[in-house]
Amino acid sequence: MIDDYGASAFWKVSFKGDEVMATSVEKQSHWGENAKQFLKDYGWCYAFIALPFLLFLVFTVYPLFSAFIMSFQEYGILKSKFIGIDNYKYLLSNDIFWKAMKNTTIYTLGTVPVNILITFFLSLMIFPLNRRSQTFFKASFYLPAVTSGITMSLIWLWMFDPTQSGLMNIVLGWMGFDQQLFLASSKSALFSLMLMTYIGGHGSGVILYLAAMGGIPKSLYEAADIDAASWWSKLKNITWPLLKPTTLYMLITGVIGSFQVFEATYVMTQGGPNFATTTIAFLIYQHAFQYYQFGLAAAEAFILGFIIIVISILQFKYMASDVEY
Amino acid sequence: MAEVKFLNIVKQFEDENKGKVFAVKDASFTVKDKEFLVFVGPSGCGKTTSLRMVAGLERQTSGDIYIGDRLVNKVHPKDRDIAMVFQDYALYPHMTIRENLGFGLKNLKTPKEEIEAKIKEAASILSIENLLDRKPRELSGGQRQRIAVGRAIVRNPSVFLFDEPLSNLDAKLRVQMRVELSELHKRLEATIIYVTHDQVEAMTLGQRIVVMNAGEIQQIATPEELYEKPNNLFVAGFIGSPPMNFVKARLNGNQLHTASYTFTVPEEKLKMYKKYDGKEVIFGIRPEDILSTKLMPSVPDKNVYHVNLKVVEHLGAELLIYFDIGDDQLTGRVNADAKLKQLEPTELYFNLNKMQLFDPKTQERIY
Amino acid sequence: MELKTATDSQFQAKLDEQKDLQRKFLKRIVLIIVYVLLALWAVFTFVPLLWMLSSSFKDSSAITSVPPELFPKNPTLDAYKRIFKVGGLGRWFLNSTIIAAVSTVINVFFASLAGYAFSKLRFPGRNAIFWVLLASIMIPGQVTLIPLYILVVDTFQMENTYAGIIVPGMVSVGSIFLMRQFMTSLPSSLIDAGRIDACSEFGIFWKIILPISKPGLAVLGIFTFVAHWNNFFWPFLVTNTNSMRTLQVGLTSFRFENLQDYGAMMAGAVCSAVPMIIVFLALQKYFLQGITIGAVKG
Repeated sequence: MIDDYGASAFWKVSFKGDEVMATSVEKQSHWGENAKQFLKDYGWCYAFIALPFLLFLVFTVYPLFSAFIMSFQEYGILKSKFIGIDNYKYLLSNDIFWKAMKNTTIYTLGTVPVNILITFFLSLMIFPLNRRSQTFFKASFYLPAVTSGITMSLIWLWMFDPTQSGLMNIVLGWMGFDQQLFLASSKSALFSLMLMTYIGGHGSGVILYLAAMGGIPKSLYEAADIDAASWWSKLKNITWPLLKPTTLYMLITGVIGSFQVFEATYVMTQGGPNFATTTIAFLIYQHAFQYYQFGLAAAEAFILGFIIIVISILQFKYMASDVEY
Repeated sequence: MAEVKFLNIVKQFEDENKGKVFAVKDASFTVKDKEFLVFVGPSGCGKTTSLRMVAGLERQTSGDIYIGDRLVNKVHPKDRDIAMVFQDYALYPHMTIRENLGFGLKNLKTPKEEIEAKIKEAASILSIENLLDRKPRELSGGQRQRIAVGRAIVRNPSVFLFDEPLSNLDAKLRVQMRVELSELHKRLEATIIYVTHDQVEAMTLGQRIVVMNAGEIQQIATPEELYEKPNNLFVAGFIGSPPMNFVKARLNGNQLHTASYTFTVPEEKLKMYKKYDGKEVIFGIRPEDILSTKLMPSVPDKNVYHVNLKVVEHLGAELLIYFDIGDDQLTGRVNADAKLKQLEPTELYFNLNKMQLFDPKTQERIY
Repeated sequence: MELKTATDSQFQAKLDEQKDLQRKFLKRIVLIIVYVLLALWAVFTFVPLLWMLSSSFKDSSAITSVPPELFPKNPTLDAYKRIFKVGGLGRWFLNSTIIAAVSTVINVFFASLAGYAFSKLRFPGRNAIFWVLLASIMIPGQVTLIPLYILVVDTFQMENTYAGIIVPGMVSVGSIFLMRQFMTSLPSSLIDAGRIDACSEFGIFWKIILPISKPGLAVLGIFTFVAHWNNFFWPFLVTNTNSMRTLQVGLTSFRFENLQDYGAMMAGAVCSAVPMIIVFLALQKYFLQGITIGAVKG
């Protein structure tokens, strides 16, 4: 639908009944004129997207390429030196890097599926309620999301205090359990961070699921009722499959998010104790801004990015194959 | 007011699935000064695209458009001296009616008093003075439609463009608005290009009608001409409700053989059909030209047959009757006084004085 | 077919009624259980916030007391005083407000302008450019982070300035996506009418599209403001003096400089969280609507 700006014929002759008409079609062979017309037609469109696009080029595209090059360099504060794939080799043979990979993987596996299930069941419970109750619970579960990651990290830092004044230990005490070290012990630190995500933060997922549930035709459930289906059967055969698109979306965004978790590790544990909570994102930060090894950090970031993209594509392929839109 | 010329217009665009698609294929027509010209055709036939090209909202792939003496190919809609009434009225929801009406003139830096005067004039023509300070969402569909027309009147354009303006109104209101539009046309002495998919609207409003199908102009003619001398099968089947019946037939001398009956072609018509003697043709006859002999003072000697009626539909003053000739299903339109009943045989007269014949390959009318 | 006697059908009717009552009773019980479970979970969700609030008003002995006081017996503002005086929360608060406000205005304006262009205007390369922008969302932040830092701090010399914090993230691609989705549902005929009405292209955006986009703009504005208020990492990297720190960064530095002063930390947390909670409670419906505009229809 973009008009032809190239050269075209000069005269068009047409016959209508007894009349002969010759109409001139404009010659458009001049480059300058073409460019002028193009600007006149579309110039303002590009003007509307100019600023965001410019920002994109300067602050996303350029850094992307620059980071790629950097990953093949030894880049310190004062100098940079090309060293080929040495950064990558170093990382792949480095214990701490693998520890960080392991921690990140455990964290992801332990939080994303669990939270999706919690969100799903919360949504299932909220869906049949009346409008007012729905809104009340939606708002309640969403509320923590407006507080910052830092705020939550500080609160949970205090709640996880290993002394007897930490709220978690107080509650454990009421229930008759022993006091725990939580973040102070390398055995329980990572789990404590995961625990933090289970409570609170389900709000946006609940809202998404509820919206998607509203889109399932009631007639499917009615047909199932007539077919004497149990509630479990309805859940398994109607609700869950038809919500796959939403589940897939939450899986992908959840994995992308959990692989980049930073604030909690920075504020609460600084990666410790003894690297127990060092995640890839935290390691990248350390290498870049504590040890000033920019090249190494860049290589690490690319590895992280690569993993995320591959996992997302795999997830999409695997789940989307039987998703019906 | 001015005339509009459309010369060899082609509109082509890229469709994601089908590649290059022609919305309009080499269309040419002239709208005479002060004429009410209607474009009619099924959805996707190119009528709305053509209208939008006149307005300048779409750019044609090739061809020329003249408004008056002016070549407007590269002219922006605001400078083409046109006004348009949209199917969904396109009233600015956040502005009052007065602001809606005056928006165009304001942008053209017309002095305030002039804007006021023009709004007042348009409002009185359409009897909407009392609505001027309301917002569109407070008004009914019919009122909004009037406002949309009012906005066009305020601009006092050379050409008025209407894009299916009545299709969102209920049937009763539609009939009322049709009459008003006709009166408006006379009062304003306006050149109007009107697009619709409803052939009744086209026939009642248009001084001339352009029938389009799949991007091609099928025929440009007055309503009477379209009805009595359709160019091809498409036009014949599009104009008239219920549509014309088409039956496969073979012509032999003055005998027209169909699967069930043999009709006798009237003398006057035979000359036209000489070339097709012995050949296959498509026989067309309108439902209203199939009559019940019960209601005729005397039964003619030719073209009268006993027919088994499959279905009879009661419309009040008329009956629609359905019967078969071979594989073809025919419809007849008969006065209800004939009191015909379903599944009963009855005697019908086929008025072949009104018949049409079409070439089966080219689909064109034989004359 | 067997002949049913009068008593047979009466018996069947009684059975049917019993079954119906049972079902109704069961439904009621399940509903009650559901409400209880949901209420419990909601309480869980609020506990951290309540604990934060209560801890912020405790003095240094009460805060470590065992058993803990749910409502401090002697509430005090000491913790608040500490975080303001020793930490400098007032300045942090000001910085966050300015940065969030400026970023919001810029983001909303330019994202809606670009969203309008992508949804309603046709121009060469439109789809390609849009997909490229969208693809960039998939890139994790860490990848571009280091060169971005070097760019802002070394090349543009914007370290420790408002500009350095605001400019790189001024217009987010996600916002453009959101506005594009929202504007797709606006009637295009209004734009056509605007053209015929001699309105300039920018005029169409400013006088016609924006006024009818208020809900979308409100949602975007609120989300943008909250996101910037809560943002930590980039301001953390770019600032290095206490006077330029935002709220989140300031709280973090305080935490590391005063390792055990949980009271003051909680007071700071309250100052950070409460304004956003108030905004949320007042404008709930925009939050709840906003989540679905982009994702579900996407």
